[in-house]
Amino acid sequence: MTDTPAEVSDFSNLTCTNLMIRLKILLKKAPPHSTVDCIVRRDQRDTIDVPFSKTGYDVRIRKIDANRYRVSLKKKEQGLFP
Amino acid sequence: MTPHFFLLGGLLSVERLSWIQECLKFFFVKLNPENLLHHTKPPRDAVFVFLLTGDALYSLQNPQTLPLWEVILSMPSVKIICDLKELELRGISIGRLKMKNPEQVIDQNSLALNGQPSFWKDVMKYARQHEQPVPSTVGYLQMESPYMNQSSHAALQFLAAGVEAHASVDLYTYLDGIHLGHTGQNPSECTNIGSSLEGLYDKALKKGLACQMLACGRCSAARGYSTWDDGQGVVISTCTIKPVKIRNLQEIIGQFGRSHIILAKNSASIKFKKEGKTSSLPLRETGRTPPVTIFVTDRPYGTEDAFGAVSFAVSCAYEGIKTRVIFIEEGVYTLMGEHKLEKGAHFFNLQEVVDAVAGSENLQLFAFQPSLSQRGIIKNKKLNGVLNIGIPELGQLLFYPPNGGLANHQRVIFF
Repeated sequence: MTDTPAEVSDFSNLTCTNLMIRLKILLKKAPPHSTVDCIVRRDQRDTIDVPFSKTGYDVRIRKIDANRYRVSLKKKEQGLFP
Repeated sequence: MTPHFFLLGGLLSVERLSWIQECLKFFFVKLNPENLLHHTKPPRDAVFVFLLTGDALYSLQNPQTLPLWEVILSMPSVKIICDLKELELRGISIGRLKMKNPEQVIDQNSLALNGQPSFWKDVMKYARQHEQPVPSTVGYLQMESPYMNQSSHAALQFLAAGVEAHASVDLYTYLDGIHLGHTGQNPSECTNIGSSLEGLYDKALKKGLACQMLACGRCSAARGYSTWDDGQGVVISTCTIKPVKIRNLQEIIGQFGRSHIILAKNSASIKFKKEGKTSSLPLRETGRTPPVTIFVTDRPYGTEDAFGAVSFAVSCAYEGIKTRVIFIEEGVYTLMGEHKLEKGAHFFNLQEVVDAVAGSENLQLFAFQPSLSQRGIIKNKKLNGVLNIGIPELGQLLFYPPNGGLANHQRVIFF
């Protein structure tokens, strides 16, 4: 929940299932309008992208190194109009 | 008609047998009263079959559980098939129960090809009935280590019976079950599980049958098996026997997308009679994947079982499998009070996990209220994504398919 790269959690050693669980916990605890950031592997990136996009999150992914990606998740704002 | 069947190999407590008995009563009284009307003598085709082996057999003699079995056997179309070798090994006498219910309590097992009675051949008769196409497949989920636990022999015998019956076999190892695949096993007083699995693999291939042995990647890594990981899903181990492949849990759960029977030490297969249709293909078909119900029966933290169960359920749900998790028996301690984990601890607070995953697509969480009441505890009010249920709701969860499902049966696994 920070923009400082040094403080971004590195989840690249987690399995995909536990990564999902960890992110859901962090998102649940995150203050409104804040972003959850983490570093993941390529296969984890694929695991995160679709399920979170489908369930109301903005998912931003940036490659930072070979097989390392920075993922930012943020709850989508509810607009007045669809 | 293919019956509902339970394979029970662990110690059967009064509590467990009581709720099973109540669920059966619910089935016969509320869902299928016609069975009661025609109940004059035990029909040839059982509706419920209990396949008992290992420590579960003690329940047939224990004065606290025996009356519960007598009630269960008084219901129509219930049959118990005992593992004769295990009965004899333990010196358990079921004479009284058998005398009262001679057609319902079976202690003579079918003969295997070697001419010896084989309980697992009887298990296979039920495990293969759901499958239409040939060759069929049967699967076994093993969660305990070998030698310390007799369940590894059960897993081996189940798979061997499958191969003998010309079924392709899958072994999924999870939690401590991954130790089945360690190289260099050399027990002096027991069947060597590792070399037996290698022999089984070769035998299956010679018969033209498929044989998969998949070990969970997370569990393998934790226990020192994953000695090389390319970071892209390829994990190689120098300490597993050749047939065992380490795969991430998602890939193992992917096998659950097919419609074959998958059993475990304590497990069940519940047939859906109306909505469900038997799949004509062995491969995955949308909507026909059997739903999974997971009973979390153990206390959290003391062992990996409770977390393993929830993690397994999350994986199933993520793979699109309708999944229900029921906290029951000692498992309700997962929901009691407010768990606090030391900051920075390299572990999960199980209540945070439960709270976070509640409401996920394909996943439903339940707390069995009688188990909470029996322990004088209540569920943490913050866990409002976990619904309290009693016997009627548990009965419905077991015997009705989830909405929109076309599966022909439900897989039930006790953790």
